[in-house]
Amino acid sequence: MARIPTAELSRYLFAGQIGHRGCLRASRIRIAPTSSSLQTRQFASHVESQAPTATTVPPTPLRKQLKEQAKALKASGQKKKKKVDNQTVPGWELTVGIEIHAQLNTARKLFSPAANSFNDDPNSHVALFDVAMPGSQPVFQPETLIPAVRAALALNCEIQRVSRFDRKHYFHWDQPSGYQITQYYEPFAKDGKLELLARDGIAAEDGESITVGIKQVQMEQDTAKTTAQPGEVQWLDFNRVGVPLIEIITLPEIHHPATAAAFVRKVQVMLNAVDACVSGMEAGGLRADVNVSVRRTDDKCGTLGTRTEIKNLSSFKAVEDAIIAERDRQIAVLESGGVVEGETRGWAIGSTETRRLRGKEGEVDYRYMPDPDLGPVVIDLPLVQYLASSSGLAPDAETDQLIEDYGLTAKDAISLMALDDGARVQYFYNVLDALEQKLGSASVDTIAVDRGLSTLAANWCLHELGKLTELSNNLGMTHKGECKVPSADLAALLYHLHRKEITAKVAKELLWAIFRGEISQGGVTEAIEANDLWFHELSEKEYSDLADQVVEGEDKVLGEFLRFAEGKGKAYPQGKLMFLVGKVMRAGPEQRMDPASVERVVRARIDEVYIPGLKSKE
Amino acid sequence: LLSKPTWSVRSLLPSEPTSTSTTPTITPKQLHHLLRLSALPPPSSPSAEKSMIATLESQLYFVRAIQQVDTTGVEPLRSIRDETAAGLKEASISVETLKEALEKEESWGHCKRPRRRRDVPVDTYGSEDWDALGTASQKVGRYFVVKSGKGVA
Repeated sequence: MARIPTAELSRYLFAGQIGHRGCLRASRIRIAPTSSSLQTRQFASHVESQAPTATTVPPTPLRKQLKEQAKALKASGQKKKKKVDNQTVPGWELTVGIEIHAQLNTARKLFSPAANSFNDDPNSHVALFDVAMPGSQPVFQPETLIPAVRAALALNCEIQRVSRFDRKHYFHWDQPSGYQITQYYEPFAKDGKLELLARDGIAAEDGESITVGIKQVQMEQDTAKTTAQPGEVQWLDFNRVGVPLIEIITLPEIHHPATAAAFVRKVQVMLNAVDACVSGMEAGGLRADVNVSVRRTDDKCGTLGTRTEIKNLSSFKAVEDAIIAERDRQIAVLESGGVVEGETRGWAIGSTETRRLRGKEGEVDYRYMPDPDLGPVVIDLPLVQYLASSSGLAPDAETDQLIEDYGLTAKDAISLMALDDGARVQYFYNVLDALEQKLGSASVDTIAVDRGLSTLAANWCLHELGKLTELSNNLGMTHKGECKVPSADLAALLYHLHRKEITAKVAKELLWAIFRGEISQGGVTEAIEANDLWFHELSEKEYSDLADQVVEGEDKVLGEFLRFAEGKGKAYPQGKLMFLVGKVMRAGPEQRMDPASVERVVRARIDEVYIPGLKSKE
Repeated sequence: LLSKPTWSVRSLLPSEPTSTSTTPTITPKQLHHLLRLSALPPPSSPSAEKSMIATLESQLYFVRAIQQVDTTGVEPLRSIRDETAAGLKEASISVETLKEALEKEESWGHCKRPRRRRDVPVDTYGSEDWDALGTASQKVGRYFVVKSGKGVA
C-alpha cells in the first residue's frame, strides 16, 4: 500500500474527512468530529471513537474478562487470606458438629452372611436380603461387633448393654429395600470423647488441647455403589449394600475449621489402629458430613444459630475449606440482614462456596420406626472387657512413648507413625531391635532405651530413607516393616556408624548402594571391608599439626578469640571457629577426619596455644 | 349376663353425621405429601382424592380411639420376643459366641494391635449362590442399569 500523504491523514484524524478519490461510489463518507477546540488533547480518544463505528465491537473473551476482574480485585487491596490466619472472624463464633461414617473391617456384611469385599467383580457378593427379595429376612452377624465395639472404646464411649435397630425410610436406587437399617433411638455406644492435642494440628486458637464430646456411635448399613454413565444412566453394584458402617456423631463443640479437619484425621488414625476401619478418606472408606452455624460473640440468648449441613466431603483439606467457605457465606448473609436457612449443601474440591443441594421444602421425613424383624443387640460386659484389653497400645500412647522414652521430637514422632500407613514406624522398631542386639547393650527386658541409639535410628528411618526416592511406594515397605533396605542391613550400617568405624558420608553412600541392590543381604560389613571404607581417624597429634598449619597467617581471626577471652566480645565467635574447622578439613585427608573431632581439637588449641601465643606477641 | 353386648367394633368407626367440625381435617396438601413419601401415585381425580381423604379420616378416628388407652409406664412393643432374663441371656453376645471370629485375628507389631487375617477364606453359608444379575430388568455386563433422568417412570 502506498504511503498516505500527511495532509490526507491529518484531514482524516482532525476533521473526519476521507478523500473519495478512487472510491467506487460518488457519495462522500463523512465522520463527524467530536470537538474542534481541544483537538490535540483529545487526539487519542478521538481516534478510538471514530475508527470502528462502522463495525460492532467484538465481545471481550471470557478469559480476558476474568483476568481483568482478578486484576481489579488485586488492585483494590483484597488479598487472599492464609488458612492459618483465617480461623476466626472477629465478632463471630463458629460452631461445628461432625458426623463421620466409617466402613467396618469385617469378613461378612451386617445382616447377611455375604462377604464384605473391596473391588471384587460387581454383584458377586449379594445375598437375597441385600437386594430386598420379597420374603428375605435380616440375620444379624454378631462378629461385626468386634470392630464396632473397639472403635467405640477407642473413642472412650460407654457401650450399652442393650441396643436396637430402627428403619430410616427414603427411596433411592442404591437402597433396594426403601429403608436403611440404623440405630436411631438406641445406639450401642454413647457419651464418648476424643482429646486433640496441639501436635495433632488443631488451630492455634484452641491452645494446647481440646476435648470434643461424642454424642453416640451407631451401626448402620451401607448403600450400593453407583457409577454415573453418560445419558443419565447409572450402573449399580450391590456388593456394598449391607456392609456395616459406624456413624460417629459429635457434640457441637468445635469452633475452628483446622480443629475440625484435625478431628477427622485423628478419628481415622484411631480407627485404623484398632483395625476397625482400614480404608481411609481417599479410598472412600471414611466420609464426613459437617454441620456449620455461626452466631455473634456478644449474643446473650445462648442458642446456636441455624445450622446447615455440608455433605460429600472427601478429604481433610475439603473439610477445612468447606467450613471456612460456609462460615463466610453465613456471616455475609447475616450481616446483610438476611436469615440463614437450614438446608443441605454440597462442596466440590476447588470451589469457593458451598452449593445448595436440598432446601427445607425438600427436607425428607424419614419416618423412623423400630425394625420389628430384628431383635435387640445384647452385649456381654466380659466381651467388652476382652475387646478393650486386646486393642493394643493406643496411638496417642505410642506417640508419647516415642517422644518421652525414645527421645524423638513431636514432629518426627507424628511423621514416623503416619508414613507408609504405619509401616515405617514398625521398620524403625525392627531396626532398633536389631541394632540393640548387635551392640549387645539392652536386654529384651529393660525398659530404658538408649536415646542416642533411638534418635540415630529414627533419623535414618525417617530422613535418610526418605532421601532415597521421591515416591515412598518405591521403598517397597511391607506392613510388617521390611523394605528394599532390609532392617538387619540398616542396623549393621548404623552399628558401624555408632561405633565411629565409618563416617556419615560413607554410611549414606552405602545406604544408597543397598537400596539399589548392589550390596546383597547381610553383606554390609563385607562391602566395607572389600572397598576399604573403614574410618581410620587421624591421631590427636596429626589434627594438632594440621591446625597449626592452617592457623598461620590467621592472626586477625585469632584476634576475635582473644577479644572474647578478654571479655570484650559479646558471644563466642562460632562462625570464625567453623571457618577454621573448614580450612582444616580442606587441608587434610577428608576421609580420615571427623568434623566433630576437628572442632574439638581446634577449640582446644585456640584456648591452650594460640591465644597465649598472641598474648605473648603483644 | 352376656345377652347385651357392652361394646361394638362400630365404636371405632366414625358415625356418618360426625362431620369434620371439631377434628382437624387432612388437607389435600398433606395427602399429597404422604403419598410422595410413600412413593404412591397421586389421586387420579378430585373424587378419588375425596374418597382417599375420607378413608384416611376414618382410619385416623380409629387411631385416636386406640390412643385413648392409658399406656403410662408400659414400654412399647417392638416385636414379640423372649423378654425374660433367660431369653436375654440367650440372646446376649459373649466371647464364646464370637470365638470363631476372634480366632481369625492376630495381635501384631510392636504395639500388639489387633489385625483381622485376610488369608482366611470367608464362608458365606451359600448366601451368594444364586444369580443376582438374573433379576435385572436391564443390565450392562455385570452391572444393573437404572435410568436417572427426570420424567422417567
